[in-house]
Amino acid sequence: MPRLLSRRGFLITGAVLSGTVAVAATAGVGYLATVDIDGPDGFVDGEVGVLNAFVAIYTDGTVTVSVPKVEMGQGIHTGIAMLVAEELDIPFDDNISVEHPTEILPVYGGWASQLGIRPEEASGPLHWLGRRALGAVSLVSTGASSSTYELWTQLRQAGAASRHMLMGAAAERLGVPVSELTTPGDGTVFHAATGTRLSYGSLALAAATVPPPAAPALKPATDWRLIGRPQPRVDIPAKVRGRPVFGMDVVLPRMLHAAIRQAPVSGAAVARVANEAELRDLPGVVDVVVVDGHSVAVVADSWWTAEQALWQADIAWTPTEWDDLSGAELARRMEAALDSGEPNVVHDEGDPFPDAPGRLVEAAYSAPLVTHACMEPMNATVLVRGDGTAEAWVSTQSPTSARWGVFRGAEAAGTRPDDVIVNVTQNGGAFGRRLELDVVQQAAYLAARHPDRPVKLLWSREEDIGRGIYRSHARARLRAALGEDGLPLAYEALVAGQSVAQGMMGRLLPITGGGSPEGDFLTSEGLESPHYAIRSQYVGSYHVPSNIRVGLWRSNGFSHNVFFAESFFDECAHAAGSDPLDYRRRLLADSPRLRAVLDRAAAMAGWDRPLPPGRGRGIAIGGAYYSVVAQVVEVSVAADGEITVDRVFCAVDVGTVVNPNQVVAQMEGSILWGLTTALMSANTVENGAIVETNFHDFPVQRLRNAPRIAVEIVASDALPGGAGETGVIPVAAALGNAIFAATGRRLRSLPLAITESVGERRTRSVLRTEDA
Amino acid sequence: MVRFTVNTTPITLDVPQDKPLLWVLREDLGLLGPKYGCGVAQCGACRVLLNGESVPSCMTFAADVEGAEVVTIEGLAAPDGTLTAVQQAWIDEQVPQCGFCQPGFIIAATALLESNPAPTDAEIDDSITNICRCGTYPRIRRAIHRAAATLAGN
Repeated sequence: MPRLLSRRGFLITGAVLSGTVAVAATAGVGYLATVDIDGPDGFVDGEVGVLNAFVAIYTDGTVTVSVPKVEMGQGIHTGIAMLVAEELDIPFDDNISVEHPTEILPVYGGWASQLGIRPEEASGPLHWLGRRALGAVSLVSTGASSSTYELWTQLRQAGAASRHMLMGAAAERLGVPVSELTTPGDGTVFHAATGTRLSYGSLALAAATVPPPAAPALKPATDWRLIGRPQPRVDIPAKVRGRPVFGMDVVLPRMLHAAIRQAPVSGAAVARVANEAELRDLPGVVDVVVVDGHSVAVVADSWWTAEQALWQADIAWTPTEWDDLSGAELARRMEAALDSGEPNVVHDEGDPFPDAPGRLVEAAYSAPLVTHACMEPMNATVLVRGDGTAEAWVSTQSPTSARWGVFRGAEAAGTRPDDVIVNVTQNGGAFGRRLELDVVQQAAYLAARHPDRPVKLLWSREEDIGRGIYRSHARARLRAALGEDGLPLAYEALVAGQSVAQGMMGRLLPITGGGSPEGDFLTSEGLESPHYAIRSQYVGSYHVPSNIRVGLWRSNGFSHNVFFAESFFDECAHAAGSDPLDYRRRLLADSPRLRAVLDRAAAMAGWDRPLPPGRGRGIAIGGAYYSVVAQVVEVSVAADGEITVDRVFCAVDVGTVVNPNQVVAQMEGSILWGLTTALMSANTVENGAIVETNFHDFPVQRLRNAPRIAVEIVASDALPGGAGETGVIPVAAALGNAIFAATGRRLRSLPLAITESVGERRTRSVLRTEDA
Repeated sequence: MVRFTVNTTPITLDVPQDKPLLWVLREDLGLLGPKYGCGVAQCGACRVLLNGESVPSCMTFAADVEGAEVVTIEGLAAPDGTLTAVQQAWIDEQVPQCGFCQPGFIIAATALLESNPAPTDAEIDDSITNICRCGTYPRIRRAIHRAAATLAGN
């Protein structure tokens, strides 16, 4: 049966909400049934030649790249457009625009990442089956630093196939064989024998009907003009003019505005809104709504009006079993779990830990809950029509997650998932937070009560920091038995935390009950050290539930576990009387890739140059998302204990680099993200609720405490790795190791603090108990 | 009733005297460049120029702007679209990542260079307290120095 495809995109530049290219595809095109990389057959729509799922060329020569990845600051729209432009052989200029497709095609699904492989590694019947199955589900999301390695081949093939089709159209028009044609790189097809030049724009419509090649040849690296060379970001010119449309900036005709108060104790229900009638009478207030039983929203003609009304709302919440829960109690429960001795075994390699180790090093570490605090607070705009169809405009990392959120919120209005169109806007930061569907579901719930009127729900910053979603806290015990050479013969790491996988699956997937915490690798990821030459390694995890919602957060478990492990190996180095750099070099004897990155960072920092008293240098390394990052932090510690990060040196190997300047930018951003959490940010629990509410009590880095950062890329021709998160991983440990070098004090709890009263830090006595 | 000018356009509006300028700009005037980030003058995403001075518009109220000149990020560039030195420096140094907080930073930097045409790093750090979660601070410092050099050369 023919299916109407609306190939609508959300333009990332300009104020237009959606550029609509509605087109009817012929029946039976293969892409609906498969997830093959070549996507749909081409078709013509008015002035546009739609060559495949990714590339459309207008008759004026402009090229639109449909990117199924969200721009949340990481520069991916530019990187992806570069991959297409490279193979399409066009200049990287204003003629290229990028849009987020609203039609969620199977070809956009990141099936390989979901299988835990690179697309290039797919082989055999199991991968074929997995690809089929995931294609049917069609999950589209941006996360796990995966965009570049997921799309590296696919997008270049889309560009190469498009170029092939343009050349085919030119060959037919000129009556010459394709072999006589070239593309000189200026957006034309050239016939040297006659000196004829045909622009891509003039060929666009004809090209759309040329059969795509089965396996388009890709340029060898030596022919690249764009890949590996810094290109300016496509989104920045609009961003310096204040023009991009973030979710918060969506304005639609007859739109209503909503604000919300969620239960302070997550899980509590609304008992009553004592002054509901008064709130309804306030000027501008349209509706007062108990959302899903757990929140109170005010819908009004202005967000300011709605938020003001909520400040006056007298809401009573039902009691819960969590009402007495404190951070101290959660710490006790995690310690009790660690004492229980029956972990989920995540990694077990080599002999058991010796009963009588010759030289034992032991330490306990901890990290707090911490939220994302994206600069754009959570929001969503949803329209539910009288017939149950719905449309959402939302800054989200996943249109499929958002679609599910609209369905859940508006189910009572008869909305089904297939009835929902999601327009993905620019994301004002995301960091894993915008994979969640909570705000979308709430907005849809409100919109369903006001059919045919869009409702924009915006959380206050207080809702975001105090009633939101958090990276799990964690407490860990590590021990190592050192051999005669000082290196660990055996290493054991046990961690207790709250299961992110269980929480997220319960919230996001179309099943209730959630996933199994036993299989949750997010809690322990980064504790095992496969690259270190330690024969016996044992890693186990424990999961301690609570009512606090934990979720994905830039680099997830790596963010605390690599702090634990790389601080601990520093302790081992000192116990062995070794220089921490030299110790790691010996541990990396069999890992030349990591060792090269480590050496580069050390050389950048001048590792062997002594520092004056009160200053220190620490090093750490982390590998994840197919990339490796090593960092050296230089720190000053004042007599009163104040910690100042002076400089950070960062060496990174992300495999083949697409846009070097953006890899550097991601390292800078990751370092500052990691330092914020290492030194400042934490969420605490009292009476079952998160205590912090806004940036005055949830401090983050500002210009005045941002160190100098130097980044060098270690050249590689390996397949690309991820750049968005790996840089976060080592920085907290490098800082803690630097503080040790400066002061002789080993700090084992995040956020790191020498004294309780320094600067903006809050007292968190419980989480500090095991500091040396 | 409040009368003021926004980006050189005279405005007369009937809004509550205690409505924050941020929401007057965003909801009543359709100027979406200034962003809501905290509502309590902590993050600077809402900064605008008020009579040439950088202020958090979330804690500036309608009553405060009577007779004032307000400039938002949308009003910085010349009518023909030519960018200011600060905006151009932001492009040249490839500053923005997600870009949500950048209007506030550009406003703050514009005001800083007006009062201090050649700020040191320490002066930049002391005077600009905005928050960026993507971590663009190193580039912001560089861009301000670049803009200062451009302005000095003119």
